[in-house]
Amino acid sequence: MVEPEVAIDVNEVSYTYEPDMPLALDHVSLQIHKGDFLALLGQNGAGKTTLAKTFNGLLRPTSGSVSVGGLDIRNATVSSLAARVGYCYQNPDHQIFNRTVSMEAAFGPHNLGLPPNEVSARVDHALQLVGLADKKDAYPFLLGKGERQKLAVASVLAMGSSILVVDEPTTGLDIQGIRSIMTLLRQWNQSEERTIVIITHDLRIVAEYIPRTVVMAQGKIVADGPTRSILSDGAALATAGLKPPQITRVAQRLNHHGVPPDVMTVDEMLEYLHNAFSGSEDARSSLPGRSF
Amino acid sequence: MGEPVVRVDGLTFRYPTSDQILCGINLEINRGEFVGITGPSGAGKTTLCMCLKGLIPHVIGGTIRGRIIVQGMNTRKTEPSILAESVAMVFQDPETQIVGLTVEEDLAFGPENLMRPASEIRDAIPRVLHTVGLTGYEQRETYRLSGGQKQRIAIASALMMEPQVLILDEPTSELDPLGKDEVFQVVQRLREEHQVTIIMVEHEVEQLANVADRIIQIDRGRIVADAPPREFFHNAELFRRTVGERLPQVAELLLALEAEEFVDPVDFTPYEEEAIALLDRLLLRKRD
Amino acid sequence: MPVGYSIYVERPSYLHKRIDPRTKLFALCTSFVLALLFNNPAYLGILLAAVIAIGLWARLPLKSFRAYLLFALWFLILGVVIWPFYIHQGSVVLQISGVQFTSDGLLFGLAMGLRVALMVTAAGVWMMSTSPQHITLGLLRLGLPYKAGMVMSSTIRFVPLINAERATIIEAQRARGLDLKRGNPFQRALRYVAVIGPMLVRTLDMAQSLALAMEARAFGARPNRTMITEIRLTRVDWYIVIGCALLIAAAIALRVLGIGVLVRGYL
Repeated sequence: MVEPEVAIDVNEVSYTYEPDMPLALDHVSLQIHKGDFLALLGQNGAGKTTLAKTFNGLLRPTSGSVSVGGLDIRNATVSSLAARVGYCYQNPDHQIFNRTVSMEAAFGPHNLGLPPNEVSARVDHALQLVGLADKKDAYPFLLGKGERQKLAVASVLAMGSSILVVDEPTTGLDIQGIRSIMTLLRQWNQSEERTIVIITHDLRIVAEYIPRTVVMAQGKIVADGPTRSILSDGAALATAGLKPPQITRVAQRLNHHGVPPDVMTVDEMLEYLHNAFSGSEDARSSLPGRSF
Repeated sequence: MGEPVVRVDGLTFRYPTSDQILCGINLEINRGEFVGITGPSGAGKTTLCMCLKGLIPHVIGGTIRGRIIVQGMNTRKTEPSILAESVAMVFQDPETQIVGLTVEEDLAFGPENLMRPASEIRDAIPRVLHTVGLTGYEQRETYRLSGGQKQRIAIASALMMEPQVLILDEPTSELDPLGKDEVFQVVQRLREEHQVTIIMVEHEVEQLANVADRIIQIDRGRIVADAPPREFFHNAELFRRTVGERLPQVAELLLALEAEEFVDPVDFTPYEEEAIALLDRLLLRKRD
Repeated sequence: MPVGYSIYVERPSYLHKRIDPRTKLFALCTSFVLALLFNNPAYLGILLAAVIAIGLWARLPLKSFRAYLLFALWFLILGVVIWPFYIHQGSVVLQISGVQFTSDGLLFGLAMGLRVALMVTAAGVWMMSTSPQHITLGLLRLGLPYKAGMVMSSTIRFVPLINAERATIIEAQRARGLDLKRGNPFQRALRYVAVIGPMLVRTLDMAQSLALAMEARAFGARPNRTMITEIRLTRVDWYIVIGCALLIAAAIALRVLGIGVLVRGYL
């Protein structure tokens, strides 16, 4: 079996914002493979954002090394890394400044030096993916918060980078908004084969959409593995001050009835209980397989 | 029973440059109630809070119709500074609602504006800090506080006004899980120990269910549901995975089980512990 | 990561804790007046040393003076180079392609540099030993309208936040490939629009949120405000004020008599 290519290699990275402050990153090592879709969890100050900012060179480690696609970030400028790693900030108002939606989405690809027809092709595609195609000429500041968030995501997608980092894609969104953005990201990962890193506090979307989970606390990685194992490990999550999703907690409390302790979603729980209540023989065996 | 502390009759509102945001709100809230408000973005939740606080129409412009009576005062006709002694508000952004450079300075800000005597203010500060679990924080510099601490200070500063009604507009949306817990613990304590009427706009439905006496859903400027948590989340028609908030996962689960007739509607609950107990019973029965 | 808000350095010193901010303000003004009344580098040098000594007595760290002195160093170098073109008093020390540099010309340049150092360092000591709340409170007690006082405090409170926003915006745009280092200054300035645009929006946004929060807490409701922090002028404060007044009087007298003045006719 061929080892999947390493997209980002973090090797014993430490980082401190100021010389006499505690380490924001404490000898962190992490390997992200091409095509990975992973969630970065942890309280504020745990180091998630600090780590993610080393991926595109916004922060340079004070010790250790980070390589993106084999290229050591020490030998690359932020603008050259922007071609490989797209970083979407949480607050779209930190980015938006153009007169129209399409001009805004074009900013990134334009900076990458792409020819104009390539830029507009990418912009159109990206806007279509997020559902803003009909607002191409709209004034970004007049859009609602949810639409501005979509624009920010489209702006990053238009850059076409193979690695995407998104900071809190679902904050403040309602159920439809959450579903549409996460479905889009899942598609971007699967059909377009991009590597995606999501920084989030929302364990429900992690349980439902994101196959791999990395948990950080106090500048260290305290858990890294398939979402199913990590989110059902209450003890590991507790060291980061987190709790498993409600449905997982419920499943674990009913474990003595044979309910699997790694139920991730309401649907999974339903399938198990449906079988259990129908008197099916398979009730206590493992759940139908999911993609992760 | 007496007069409700908040009464809204036929409230409609539009901002100067937009469509109708509130399209006829009728609402009554009794003294001491804890009312949660949920709904999709743009539904009008924040606008409603601003109206209840009197910031609309006195500070924010727009076309308002209808009546809002808080603590016997008509918000459209009463000076915001007089209203401020009855209704206090905590906003979403922890950063821009903190005015003081130290905690003490921020807590004193409101009562200082109302020219309350200095000694009264100084006495109230430790009491209020105790309520929010930040005893001894008087001299702390506000910029050093965590998000959860900042929001707790915001709540404390609101409490310094000695309001009858406390409105919180998405106080936890900018916070990490720890910060969210801190805020919910404080409102839980307020609910249990104090007479304050609380109105809280929230997306964290699982935690909101635990503290609210009643939850209101606003959609496109109208109240589409208003009931205690048990009834509220039982309303499958409202939630069937189409509009608004995610449900507490246990509620989603039980609704689906009910649809398949594995669970009796009368047993429905949005609460985690109750749901576990219910499922425990059901699974026990199945084993035999 | 917390964002700092002022130059104030907390120390348990007499200057910090016991002397009223109004007194310190008067002392600061005194130092400015004295700086302007003398142009002999020796006198200015002594005054500068005195200010630094006061700062050290207030337990301010020695390295905090570095920034101010370095800043003044630029003016000193500039002064020593430029003033001799105007001042031809004294014996010629240097001659470069027909331009004569006299001893007094150079010394005057030195004096101008020391003057800047004195004023800047005095201001620094004042800001490092007086908390922003006390500065505002002092000004309010001197008659500054409370709304203006609020503008001052808010500025102190929010400038670091705005700075942090600026840093975040720059990061977010760099992540989209914005290169602020490439190209000539004109091109770079144009590219800065990508930073200034969001900054304006964010700043207006924050200002609006702040205004709402303040309105919600009845700011401006009454003609005046209670203030729970108290400052009081004690006997020591009055001694200092009188002492400063005497210093000013003495300095004016010396100036009139021409003492401490290296070059007449120049400030």
